Amino acid sequence: MNIVVLVKQVPDTESPRKLKSDDSTLDRAAADGVINELDEYAIEEALKIKEAHGGEVTVLTMGPAKATDSIRKALAMGADKAVHLVDDGLAGSDALQTSYAIQQALGRTGFDIVILGSESTDARTGVLAAMLSERLGVPQITLANKVEIDGSAIKAQRVTDYGYDRVEATLPAVVSVVEKINEPRYPSFKGIMAAKKKPVETLGLGDAGIDAAQVGLANAATEVVDFADAPARAQGQIVTDEGDGGAKIAEFLASKKFV
Amino acid sequence: MIEWSDEDLMIRDAVRGWIDAEVRPNLDALESGELPPYDLLRSLYKTFGMDEMARSSFHAALAKEKSGEKGEKGERSGGGGAAMTMLPVIELCKVAPGLVSAMGVGLGLAAGTIMKRGTPEQKERWALPLLTMEKVGAWAITEPNSGSDAFGGMQATARKDGDEYVINGGKTFITNGPYADTIVFYCKLDDGRDPRDREILTFVLDRGMDGLEQTRPLRKMGLHSSPTGELFLSDVRAGADRLLASGEGGGKESARQNFVTERAGVAAMALGVIEECLKLSVEYAKTRELWGQRIGDFQLIQLKLAKMEVARLNVQNLVFRHIEMQRAGRPMTLAEASAMKLYAAQAASEVAQEAVQLFGGNGYMSEYRVEQLARDAKSFQIYAGTDEIQITHIARDLLSR
Ligand SMILES: Cc1cc2nc3c(=O)[nH]c(=O)nc-3n(C[C@H](O)[C@H](O)[C@H](O)COP(=O)(O)OP(=O)(O)OC[C@H]3O[C@@H](n4cnc5c(N)ncnc54)[C@H](O)[C@@H]3O)c2cc1C
Ligand SMILES: Cc1cc2nc3c(=O)[nH]c(=O)nc-3n(C[C@H](O)[C@H](O)[C@H](O)COP(=O)(O)OP(=O)(O)OC[C@H]3O[C@@H](n4cnc5c(N)ncnc54)[C@H](O)[C@@H]3O)c2cc1C
Repeated sequence: MNIVVLVKQVPDTESPRKLKSDDSTLDRAAADGVINELDEYAIEEALKIKEAHGGEVTVLTMGPAKATDSIRKALAMGADKAVHLVDDGLAGSDALQTSYAIQQALGRTGFDIVILGSESTDARTGVLAAMLSERLGVPQITLANKVEIDGSAIKAQRVTDYGYDRVEATLPAVVSVVEKINEPRYPSFKGIMAAKKKPVETLGLGDAGIDAAQVGLANAATEVVDFADAPARAQGQIVTDEGDGGAKIAEFLASKKFV
Repeated sequence: MIEWSDEDLMIRDAVRGWIDAEVRPNLDALESGELPPYDLLRSLYKTFGMDEMARSSFHAALAKEKSGEKGEKGERSGGGGAAMTMLPVIELCKVAPGLVSAMGVGLGLAAGTIMKRGTPEQKERWALPLLTMEKVGAWAITEPNSGSDAFGGMQATARKDGDEYVINGGKTFITNGPYADTIVFYCKLDDGRDPRDREILTFVLDRGMDGLEQTRPLRKMGLHSSPTGELFLSDVRAGADRLLASGEGGGKESARQNFVTERAGVAAMALGVIEECLKLSVEYAKTRELWGQRIGDFQLIQLKLAKMEVARLNVQNLVFRHIEMQRAGRPMTLAEASAMKLYAAQAASEVAQEAVQLFGGNGYMSEYRVEQLARDAKSFQIYAGTDEIQITHIARDLLSR
């Protein structure tokens, strides 16, 4: 089974994140880069599928040179090899362009199944799975919290507001996962030492057959027009319990339509 | 070596993540003694594949020994090996130094002794399950009347009776004593000679042997995540299969080699405590405001921070030197290990005490964590040889040149 897992490096949610004032893109140099949290679940699921059905796990990352840290970590967890799509021409790409660039890279790696997180912690558009499956012309299974593979059939449970859907598709397919799907492993010490020796292929626009006119900030279909800092958190409201604390809580929740 | 490599940092971060998720939430239970440390340590080993690594290097070493090749000195070290053992020690000591004592005694001392002096059968039977953390090991020398004068004052005895030995005596302050499955036990052969001249014998004992009592954990000042107890032996019968070879220089010499490993290890433990205290202190100095300014602006607070940083740099350099020596296959002399331990233990203790001071009343409260580290670090100055004993070893070496 040829399993490709999409891994995005994002700024650590623990550190302050900001957009650059000149071009309204994310200041990726300002914060420590980490693997997008949901992508760790995607990696784990990819490894589990490999362990159960055999095959190879390839990490595919589009991002600046610094993203190699995240690639190494994914390899340390147990992925076999990686493709790093890196080119100045890709900087500032929006979701539509990212899906195009990844589609082109997938054309080189081939795939039976593409696994990705259901959303990133930085941009949070949550659209990549849908865009990719459309471009690739393969079924999409999004928000999966359980995946089973049976021959060329893939069965999954999708999280919904009312519970879950059971869906089935044939491979090849694109699957996005939620954190309930598994518990990502820590990289073993041996895995960490081995990661250094695993192949990482670096692709530029030309190598991946990406049309430079279709990617990058200047050609994006969307534009960040304006942005503002999140308002500082206002001080909470203190209510003294005079025997009617319970009623006051219920009143508050009802006023906010929580109950 | 001037800094950790990229792989080292990955190991560090992975272990740190595991500690945040698994150890920190359990700290209260560890500190109260309600939760013995062993399941956590096993989980650490399993999570990072250290159990498998220990098993395969054990089999490799044994195969080498059986084929007649003499094992290289410092087998466990190798390239990344030294950093791989140090980093978990450093990271664990930021939160619960006792976990490292519990781990180090089982692996380094109990299993270490069996690996140095055991037959292949003894190694397979007792050392392997200790090296993989499956079983808990203790290493028992200290007695109520013999601590610093460990061998001179030792009163535990073994008397030969047919093919067996009959062991009697008591041990105290034994790390893992209450829970140990396997105990490396030092005593003297009762052959009628003056006790000071008697030969030191080392036995491997199992939990549950007739006449062996392992007490509940003793109450102590700190290091609560490492259970410490007493052992009482009355007429415990041990076959010759439980006796470890005396080796060159006998039991005393092998115990001394253990002192080197143990003392060098204390430097890594000290580094963990120092790094954590420094980090917490800097944060506090930047956020605690008095008289309209942060306390970090007061020179007396700056002095504390600066001294902590000096200690951190010095101890880190000692740890790096130790790793480099292991890589180069150069053994450390007892005097050097003693110097390293003396400095590192005192530095950790002082830094932690100063951190308590810097935090003021909060420092005295458990919530702010530095008081625990201060109590824990004090133990570094006592076990593995007291400060005073380190000084005598360093001085004796200097004066004998
Ligand atoms: C603050 C901010 C706001 C943005 N707003 C928009 C916007 O409104 N519209 C828009 O089109 N673009 C926007 N972008 C650009 C967007 O970040 C990129 O196009 C991004 O690569 C794809 O979007 P996403 O991360 O939101 O994808 P999502 O669909 O949220 O991500 C899902 C999964 O896709 C995979 N993935 C995503 N990106 C990559 C990658 N580069 N390499 C490998 N795998 C990847 C990961 O597995 C991830 O878990 C924004 C970026 C930022 C930083
Ligand atoms: C938490 C903890 C865990 C331990 N774990 C183990 C273990 O697993 N196995 C084990 O066998 N032991 C263990 N010990 C025992 C430890 O090794 C001894 O406590 C230590 O060696 C000191 O011995 P003592 O307690 O008998 O002190 P003593 O030897 O009685 O020392 C009393 C004082 O006299 C000083 N002193 C002694 N000799 C001299 C001298 N020549 N010159 C100047 N001053 C001197 C000492 O430094 C000390 O200040 C542990 C101890 C502690 C606290």
